[in-house]
Amino acid sequence: MKVAVMSCIHGNYEALNAVLSDIDNQNADKIYCLGDLVGYGPHPNAVVEMIRALDIPTCQGCWDEDIVEGLNSCECSYPSVLAEKRGKLAHDWTNQVIHPEVREFLAQLPLSLRDENLCFVHGSPHNQHEYLLPEVDAFVAMERVLATGADILFCGHTHVPYVRSLDAGQLQIRVKSTGTTERDVSFSAPLKRIVNAGSVGEPRHGRPNATYVIYDTDADQITLREVEYDYQKTCAAIIDNGLPPIFAWRLARGLEFAERADDPTHVCER
Amino acid sequence: MNDWAILSGIEGNLAAYEAVLADIKRLRQPVEELYILGDVIAPTAESEQVIQRVRSPQQNEPVPQVCQGWWEEQLLILHGLGRTGEPTELIERYGIEMVKTLWDAIPREMVEWVRSLDFGLFELDCLLIHGSSVSVSDELTPDTPAIQMLDRLMRMDANTLFCGRSGLTFQYEIQQGTVTSSMTTLDRSTSPQAIAVKPRQVVGVGNVGRLPGQASYALYRPNSNQVEFRTVRYGAGKGFQRASP
Repeated sequence: MKVAVMSCIHGNYEALNAVLSDIDNQNADKIYCLGDLVGYGPHPNAVVEMIRALDIPTCQGCWDEDIVEGLNSCECSYPSVLAEKRGKLAHDWTNQVIHPEVREFLAQLPLSLRDENLCFVHGSPHNQHEYLLPEVDAFVAMERVLATGADILFCGHTHVPYVRSLDAGQLQIRVKSTGTTERDVSFSAPLKRIVNAGSVGEPRHGRPNATYVIYDTDADQITLREVEYDYQKTCAAIIDNGLPPIFAWRLARGLEFAERADDPTHVCER
Repeated sequence: MNDWAILSGIEGNLAAYEAVLADIKRLRQPVEELYILGDVIAPTAESEQVIQRVRSPQQNEPVPQVCQGWWEEQLLILHGLGRTGEPTELIERYGIEMVKTLWDAIPREMVEWVRSLDFGLFELDCLLIHGSSVSVSDELTPDTPAIQMLDRLMRMDANTLFCGRSGLTFQYEIQQGTVTSSMTTLDRSTSPQAIAVKPRQVVGVGNVGRLPGQASYALYRPNSNQVEFRTVRYGAGKGFQRASP
């Protein structure tokens, strides 16, 4: 069976259509979506309507949550005052144009999905806002997969696709507690994987192409897919709708981070 | 560098706190730093006196460094100053009546002091915190899975994490470990690399005030990384308030 997993569509209808066509060409049996259907891009309603029409199981992303709950993160969310201003502009614009039924749909999305030994989340199993970057320590990454009880954890949020394999994990522990004898404990974990699906609508891997992944359960093979589409059409719509032009600029370049946060692993507790 | 005394969970029990302070004064090796890892208060009338005692150490006593505990967080939530709006955890654990009991137990003028407390303290390579780097409610015990313990340490890049949420005294040493990691992106693949973990530990420092007549706390010697647990018996019929290591 082929499972297609996509994430971070961000209101980019052109990119979503291109990815859905590619998924069709790859003969995928199932599709999962890891959230962030809205934000940044010019077509939030059309994207959500397409996901709903195709009945694609979807978990809630951080942008989806913010549109439902209202922005409530601290200043840590943005690397600079300028970035914060742009982010809030995009949030306000999306908040104004979004249809009530779309907001309702976003509100009822689950934080995670499960399909046998596969788990699907937006950021990490602990928080939609946590970035599982490729450079995250291997033990921390392993904990995130083990916390789900799954063998493969699919996530998005970073907008850069990757497959990380964590094999032969082991720890040696000694526990001393008052009133009991000292004991040695061994911990071991078999192969676990983190698969980041990248981003359909706002890629940051250095090229403007949309990205997603396909997992072939029979061959146990993961393929990172990169799909060309008419990104200039989306860029034009961003500008026509009065969204900050830098969103079009970075979409056309597939920039990893226009402005990099000091600590991208920070999770806002608000 | 002299010893640190690390305690948690006075829980509004002044006699228990006095017994621990007396025990600290009796130690052969002087205590240089005193850390209190939260739960100074509980819904008891004595909590106000405990706060005053903590804030006003005597001349021959170390000045306590205090961080927030679970009870402090519940109090702040009640006063609209917490990280969440509703006291859901408090109600789930103790029932709706506890909202009023806790509100009445701690005078409003004490709330500002509670609010001023840090979430945790970081000294040398040690994280001192009530629950863990995740939350004040996170309860680490001798039975917590190793990978979870390691995560709590690595979130703050601490070599030692002192905590008090469970009320237990324990030393949980992660002695060694490895995992093989490999990465594939759109543009490159890295061959598998063995990643090793350096030794780290989590220490449960016990509880001062929960168990009547018996307080427990921890001593830490930063130079040698040694941990010692102390149990102090106090109150009527408890001999000479003797401590047992």
